[in-house]
Amino acid sequence: MIKQRSIGDTIRITLQSNWFYLGLLAFLILFPYLVAWFTGDPVGGVGGRPRGESVYWQSVFIEVFIFVILAMSYNLMFGFSGVISFGHALFFGIGGYTTAIILGKTGFINWMTGILQPLSDMMINSFGFADDFNMALTLSLIIASIVAIAIAGLVGLVMGLVTLRLKGVYFAIFTLALSEVALIWVRTWGFTSAEDGFSVTDLPDFINPTRFRINYYYFALICTVLVFLIIRRLMNSPTGRVLLAIRENEDRAQAIGYNTLRYKLLAIVLASMMAAVAGIIQFGFNKRVGPEMFSVRFTIQPLLMVIIGGIGTFSGPVLGATLLDLSETIFDREFVFGEFTLNVGEYWSLILGIAFIVVVLVFPQGIVGTVRTQWQKYRSSRPVDSEKAQNTG
Amino acid sequence: MNNEFQRTMIIVGIIFVALLGTSFGVAMASGNGIGTFGIVIVAGLFNAMLLFLVAAGLSIVFGLMDVLNLAQGAYFTIGAYVAWQFHHAPMFAGIPADLRFVLGVLLATVIGAILGIILERGLLQPLYERPIFQIVLTFGVGIVIGEILKAIWGTAGKQWIEPFGLQQGLFVVFGQQFSIYRLFVIVIGFILIIAIALLLRYTRIGIIIRAGVEDSEMVEALGINVRFVFTGVFTLGCAVATFGGAVAAPFLGAGLGVGQGFLLGAIAVIVLGGLGSYEGTAIGSVLVGLAGQVVIQVTNYANSINIDPETFGGGSFLAGLLNYSTDVVGMSVWSSLTPMILLILVLLLRPSGLFGKER
Repeated sequence: MIKQRSIGDTIRITLQSNWFYLGLLAFLILFPYLVAWFTGDPVGGVGGRPRGESVYWQSVFIEVFIFVILAMSYNLMFGFSGVISFGHALFFGIGGYTTAIILGKTGFINWMTGILQPLSDMMINSFGFADDFNMALTLSLIIASIVAIAIAGLVGLVMGLVTLRLKGVYFAIFTLALSEVALIWVRTWGFTSAEDGFSVTDLPDFINPTRFRINYYYFALICTVLVFLIIRRLMNSPTGRVLLAIRENEDRAQAIGYNTLRYKLLAIVLASMMAAVAGIIQFGFNKRVGPEMFSVRFTIQPLLMVIIGGIGTFSGPVLGATLLDLSETIFDREFVFGEFTLNVGEYWSLILGIAFIVVVLVFPQGIVGTVRTQWQKYRSSRPVDSEKAQNTG
Repeated sequence: MNNEFQRTMIIVGIIFVALLGTSFGVAMASGNGIGTFGIVIVAGLFNAMLLFLVAAGLSIVFGLMDVLNLAQGAYFTIGAYVAWQFHHAPMFAGIPADLRFVLGVLLATVIGAILGIILERGLLQPLYERPIFQIVLTFGVGIVIGEILKAIWGTAGKQWIEPFGLQQGLFVVFGQQFSIYRLFVIVIGFILIIAIALLLRYTRIGIIIRAGVEDSEMVEALGINVRFVFTGVFTLGCAVATFGGAVAAPFLGAGLGVGQGFLLGAIAVIVLGGLGSYEGTAIGSVLVGLAGQVVIQVTNYANSINIDPETFGGGSFLAGLLNYSTDVVGMSVWSSLTPMILLILVLLLRPSGLFGKER
């Protein structure tokens, strides 16, 4: 018989089993203030402008969050479902470009403003909303983002439907080809200013990264946490178990009676939507989109981050993305050793590539997986301790 | 089975006729005479041979071990750089230009073979138990090779400056002049197609390869070391791709993006032909190569005439579409998109390809 847990117990268990993530989250929430406290530069920037150390580190971490989302979504496909894609940049780019096109190229904002003007006036006059609260702009952004995410999901769905009945490698080929098509297309598409890309200046003030970087930092953080929670919830559900079974042995999962195609489609659609979220955050952060969003960089980086961090784990992609993106920020400069100057930034891709090969060959489970295996080995080699731990825990 | 083969050949024939007919029609309509038709055929076959050189290894290797060597494009690029460097190095300036070109190509092929062995024995062999990681690894190796080439030769592409005898000689097709070098590449490509076909059909190793493509586990059960054969085929595939890059260097020059384009084209070819099917690869190369040139010709033509919806008869939508496609996206894009669009179409319509079995 299952004993009903009290609310207090639930909270205690949640805290106990997630202390690491909760601690990390608390640290990330406090992080801008910590930097501000250490360096003396205010959180909101100097003189109304986004300057100073705190704001700089906020930007660095916004970039990290973008890659964390991208890596987590890649892990959902590759690590948890065993579906390999060589065109993740496609979804990233679709997210950014769709939002930017809707906001910047279609007159959607004007249309929304026209419709919502009376309502917006009423809210400001009667309900005490701030004067600069622009409801039309906010709603436009939300709608555009939803459309972008939906389109990315739809593209993922179609790609999956077309290729998943075949061998796994067809999906990889298809994504590779489609992302290349998208890159070539966007590079020459006059509508989006081809190679230059285009900027969108109309963003709601409260989320505008040039005015309130700190708000954008928290926005990106919330998105990251949400994506993390969705993936964890999914993987701890029966559906997630089936996905893992498919990764381990698809034929067997099929033989048991699961429609593996449907499960894999679900993973792909969710992953492409999450990649689109990352693209939208990237677009909002730069307030512009360019063809580089479709470049192979946004496919390789998440692949690398997942493999280095630990494939098929929850914390692996987070760790991998944070590590790689931070070290790129830190090492992307010239190092002088006496007479010898080394420009690490110039060789960064080479270093990453070699690290990638070494990890695939030597530590196929990545950092998290390797540490976990070693830890379990260590635990099992000391039976007395583990028994004691079981008794007390 | 035989019936299906015949049906496929009929489809292939129809596609060929449609492609050449379109090209011929456009050549006639453009008023420049038949010259552009000649360009399509020569340039199309030239590209087709280069595509074949990359695709052949890709296809057989995939058939044997389900490994898609995504580094094959990088090997093509290596070939281009090595041949270019050998030809333009002051150290070897004493050697006659023609001989220098041939030696450069040979050197590139040898380097490609050595690097192929290193990749297979050193990096892929530890991953036999994890096939999906092999593909991931070749993807990574392709990037690393690209970065190394960038570190050695810089980001700017290298143009082939010093011509040699083959390039200066001319021949004429449909009133259009081409350098004999193009004919040379086409002939070499055809020789290789036939040579590999003979190798596969009449030698013992070829029989093992074909049997391995059919069912590698069964071949292994018969006591044949398929892994060993696989290493050989993989090395040969890399060498042939490098050879392709070296041979193409006088025309394409050496640049970092050269291989990637041919890799994607070659993937389109093997999917179009049917993964693991040799005749499919050969025919697919010619189809994709010709199709690219026909698209260039058509977009050139569409660009040269200003299509007016009024005079275009009832098809104003088509006219508008053509206008849009050439004005907005730029015509050069369409030719580089052709292999990808073909690939996507094949995957949508007939994923097993022309000669492939249902998988």
